[in-house]
Amino acid sequence: MLEVKNLCKYFGGIHAVEDCSFKVEKGSITALIGPNGAGKTTAFNCISRTMVPTKGEVWLDGERIDRLRPHKITAKGLSRTFQISRNLADMTVLENVICQSRINGWRDLFKPAMSPQEIDKAMGILDFLNITRIAYEDGSNLSYGQKKLMDLAALLMSDPKIILLDEPAGGVNPTLLEEIVGHIRKLNEQGMTVLIVEHNMELIMRLSQRVVVMAAGTVIAEGSPEEVQKDPAVLDAYLGGAMEDAA
Amino acid sequence: MAQTYENTDEILAARRAYNDTLAQAHDARRATWFPLLIVALLMLVPALQFVGNYNYVIHLMLYTLMYVTMAAGWNILGGYTGYISLGHSVFFAVGGYFAGMIFARLGISTIIMAPVAGLVCAALGYLIGLITLRVRGPSFIISSLALVMIFRILFEKWQFIGGAAGLSLPINDLSVQWAKLPYYYAFLAMAVFGVWASYRVRHSKFGLGLRAISKDEVKAESAGIDTRRYKVLAFAMSAFLFGAAGAVWGEYLTYVRPNIFIHILYFSVWPALMCILGGKGTIAGPVVGAVLIVAFNEFFVATLGSSTIHILVTGMIMALTLMFFPLGLVGTLAKHRRLPRILNWD
Repeated sequence: MLEVKNLCKYFGGIHAVEDCSFKVEKGSITALIGPNGAGKTTAFNCISRTMVPTKGEVWLDGERIDRLRPHKITAKGLSRTFQISRNLADMTVLENVICQSRINGWRDLFKPAMSPQEIDKAMGILDFLNITRIAYEDGSNLSYGQKKLMDLAALLMSDPKIILLDEPAGGVNPTLLEEIVGHIRKLNEQGMTVLIVEHNMELIMRLSQRVVVMAAGTVIAEGSPEEVQKDPAVLDAYLGGAMEDAA
Repeated sequence: MAQTYENTDEILAARRAYNDTLAQAHDARRATWFPLLIVALLMLVPALQFVGNYNYVIHLMLYTLMYVTMAAGWNILGGYTGYISLGHSVFFAVGGYFAGMIFARLGISTIIMAPVAGLVCAALGYLIGLITLRVRGPSFIISSLALVMIFRILFEKWQFIGGAAGLSLPINDLSVQWAKLPYYYAFLAMAVFGVWASYRVRHSKFGLGLRAISKDEVKAESAGIDTRRYKVLAFAMSAFLFGAAGAVWGEYLTYVRPNIFIHILYFSVWPALMCILGGKGTIAGPVVGAVLIVAFNEFFVATLGSSTIHILVTGMIMALTLMFFPLGLVGTLAKHRRLPRILNWD
């Protein structure tokens, strides 16, 4: 469904992502893992075009999307969250969520900001995530975990085909972590394709069907969680580096 | 243990009560009658001329209404979208010159041409916005100042439109008593249109998008908002209102001159200050700000003379107000839920 071909992103002399290629199958949960600085978030940013890739191609459902502007990519059905939750302060959670609903052409611009149907839909999503109680709370008054949930809610508002989650469990407590895992599972069962960047290995091993391991900007291994765990290249990337540092 | 449960219940109850207040604050009923009443009263003001000479009052009202138009326009870009422009006097001047030239050459009243002058300014704003809205924050402010300098030189050197001496426009043939009347109603109509437009924008998908842009542009873009188009459109809309106001102001003054029309303090900074003082991003804010700043300025001109001291005093009041009302009068009161219902136009 999503295919990344030879993606490169250079910051001056630093090759943050170098010749990175992988595929995400329809209906799967694919995890993108790697040690710190491996280029996971940069790859993410290039796929959603928050950053402009230096080279390479990104294909979504047989359509090349790496030249489109970010809002067009969202319209094609690829939505993302951010590692550090970016929410819109001075707007209620409901407005934050509805902000992400689809807009078609000029006509829609001057329709009411929140139609009753959209409010129903947004409330439905908030209900699914169990956070209807904060619907009228200001987006900046939320806890870190609530922000993560609100991001997820906003994401679903745009009816995406594939969602990219950047560390959805980063910095949240174990109870909420379980909740988020449950939500991702449930979405996946409903047919949502998920690409996820995460540091929590235990979570990745439980959740994902396929793992892509990145190190130094490039893909070093790909496969099921079990296969990847045994891959010598992966062990080297995670442990070898640490041993060299210690020495 | 039982104690703990009781506590939890209390906390949950408090939480529920708090959530209810949030929901209530959200659908507070609007006092639509209040702005309508003001408009009705304003329409009757010229009737004062039957009982005496109130030309000064009418002039002051007209002047305030012009600033309401501009502040409401500035609010769409500066308040909702968060792009602070100090170059909007350019559109005021372009509107004034465009309608003024047509009035001088063809004799078509600027009141009729005001919407056209507005559209010309909107088109110009659209083009300028495509270039300058690529940067934000201080860089955008500086680009807007550069705009003023470029246009000032252009207006002063272009002999076809009178150069630095400007254009003289014919005086209308109404008696002194009624001479201000057409302009008064024109500015009233524009002010109503400006406030209505900013209300419509605020409650549309477009307005929601603009507010998202002002908070986090990267997030807004990834949320599916065409940020470039939204920003440029907001810029064009605010330019429209400045252009329309400038058009009629020219005929009212009976001349158009670059140093007056492109005056950065009066036609760029003042509308911005009015929005900031009244409350950026609110609907009543620009109106309250315009009334207060014009009133302060007039009061201190009357008591301290038209020296630079009156600007100093107005500025000091402004600074003091913002120390206690950092989001502007309307914005701060609304945040603390102290806003009188008659001023809740949002």
